[in-house]
Amino acid sequence: MRQQLTSVATFSTLALSLMILQGCATAPPPKAEAAPAPAAPAWKQGMGADMASSKLAPMPGKMTVTAASEIPIDKLKLPPGFKIEVWATGMPGARAMARGDDGKIYIGTRAIGRVYELSDNGKERTSRVVVDKLVQPAGVAFNNGSLYVMAINKVLRYDGIGKNPSVEPVDLTAKFNLPPEQHHNWKYIAFGPDGKLYVPFGAPCNICELPSPEYAQIRRYNADGSGMEVLATGVRNSVGFDWHPTTKQLWFTNHGRDWMGDDKPNDTLNRMEKTGLNFGFPYCHAGNVPDDTVRKANPCSGVEQPVTLMGPHTAVMGMKFYTGNMFPAEYKNAALVARKGSWNRNQKSGYDVVMVKAGADGKNAKITPFITGFMNPADQSFWGRPAYLLQMPDGSMLVSDEQLGAVYRVTYSKQQVAAK
Amino acid sequence: MQYLRIATFALGLICSSAASLSFAQDISAKIQVCGACHGADGNSKIEGTPSLAGQPKIFLENQMVMIREGMRNIPAMKGQLDGVSDAAIIAITKFYTNSPAISQAGSRNSALYEKGQFISKEALCGTCHLPNYVGRDQMPRIAAQREDYLLYSMRQFRSNQATGRDTIMAASLYGMSDDDLKAIAHYLSQLQ
Repeated sequence: MRQQLTSVATFSTLALSLMILQGCATAPPPKAEAAPAPAAPAWKQGMGADMASSKLAPMPGKMTVTAASEIPIDKLKLPPGFKIEVWATGMPGARAMARGDDGKIYIGTRAIGRVYELSDNGKERTSRVVVDKLVQPAGVAFNNGSLYVMAINKVLRYDGIGKNPSVEPVDLTAKFNLPPEQHHNWKYIAFGPDGKLYVPFGAPCNICELPSPEYAQIRRYNADGSGMEVLATGVRNSVGFDWHPTTKQLWFTNHGRDWMGDDKPNDTLNRMEKTGLNFGFPYCHAGNVPDDTVRKANPCSGVEQPVTLMGPHTAVMGMKFYTGNMFPAEYKNAALVARKGSWNRNQKSGYDVVMVKAGADGKNAKITPFITGFMNPADQSFWGRPAYLLQMPDGSMLVSDEQLGAVYRVTYSKQQVAAK
Repeated sequence: MQYLRIATFALGLICSSAASLSFAQDISAKIQVCGACHGADGNSKIEGTPSLAGQPKIFLENQMVMIREGMRNIPAMKGQLDGVSDAAIIAITKFYTNSPAISQAGSRNSALYEKGQFISKEALCGTCHLPNYVGRDQMPRIAAQREDYLLYSMRQFRSNQATGRDTIMAASLYGMSDDDLKAIAHYLSQLQ
């Protein structure tokens, strides 16, 4: 065996690549000589057989500016009467949006480490960088005149930023007791109807037993970081939520795990009917799919059922219940959900915004397309990735495109129906 | 040869538009500065300095943006990309992406090489970096990268110090020993 390995090592690069491609099943682990039959190391967790030959990998982000003229907005399709336009661009990595009291919009990012402030003079939009060099400052929220920014390892509050653009932030990090692992711990944050700040803490892995209990949770805090409560457990990675307009219950999106096949598990839309509920991770996915590697008896027992499945690997992101008066009546109190789009699937899924109509009790959910055309199923190419939604006072809806660093605006009018 | 490539590259830019003459000169000058450490052809001969030759376009662009923005705090790079435009970053990237990677590795330690080969395969590094480890999109070429830099970089990822870069690499190296990382670095550095 040792001899065989040595000869493999002397092969040309091409032969070596082929060997790796085909899988060199006979090669023994050098470590196995010392310890017989060691348990699989931590880095092997969740790697299914299908992964060994797969080349699926996360889609590349773009960190350079995209001009409006380079955005193929005409490729987007919406129901009759709706119109979509490039409202702002030049903000690489733009994700979640929070609107300040004076109409300025604050936008978080991940890799590029910036928070943008977008201003509208009625004719055109301009943006500036409020803060940079943060570790994935994806969480932005606005409350009582203050901008809250939450990075993986930092929480900052900018008091009165609308009037004082260069205000120094108050560092609230110590109060929030953020856990050390970074993966899936970028944030979506928002203030609830109770005035509290809601914060998710994702699982620090694709699939694993949690290294400590502080992950895979949704929590809420008082605005100053005090009074932390764990509201839900078993939530793998939620990066979007909103409160139902009539029940005031929290509904949230959740990303399903990777590497369990093209069609399972699904991403989900969920409802927090009360606090203390378990949403299944790591043993049970989407309410009824037992995990194939992290097992326990009756894995789905006592696990909450989702409002609806949102498609496998679609990457469900921001969601907003529509409460405005601009869109047709059927949109009232319906949820619009951005699906950024899959990487861990051989046929791409998502890359759209959908409408979810359901009862206030979460029953009878029905999904219909709202914005499509970011991805071309025929050749599997994509150009944009819708990430978050923000309803404007006039009832129009903003959609951020994380791929191109742009914000689109969706409007509706009966004249636009007639024009079509 | 390399200067010829630079010259050809610069000429291409000049011909594309007379107005971009100074832009092309700026890019050529910048690439010469980069080459002082990263090697004239992007294959680094300096310990701790990564090779840039043959790296994927998006990977290089993204790293340069992150260094410019201060997301990746690298003392040797401090100030080097200050004020460099997105367009210039794209042009500099084009040069390095088109320059072939050449392994700068020393002699091979067979035991370490085989161990590294085994772990790299078991850890499925090739799923993202491709089976011949030449990288793609935002995921770097790791074949023929410098051994010292590969080890340094993996240690950074493992300890969550790889600011700005995808945390999926931290998750991928979670629980690996230093000996594992040394073997992987040795193996990959020997590849072409």
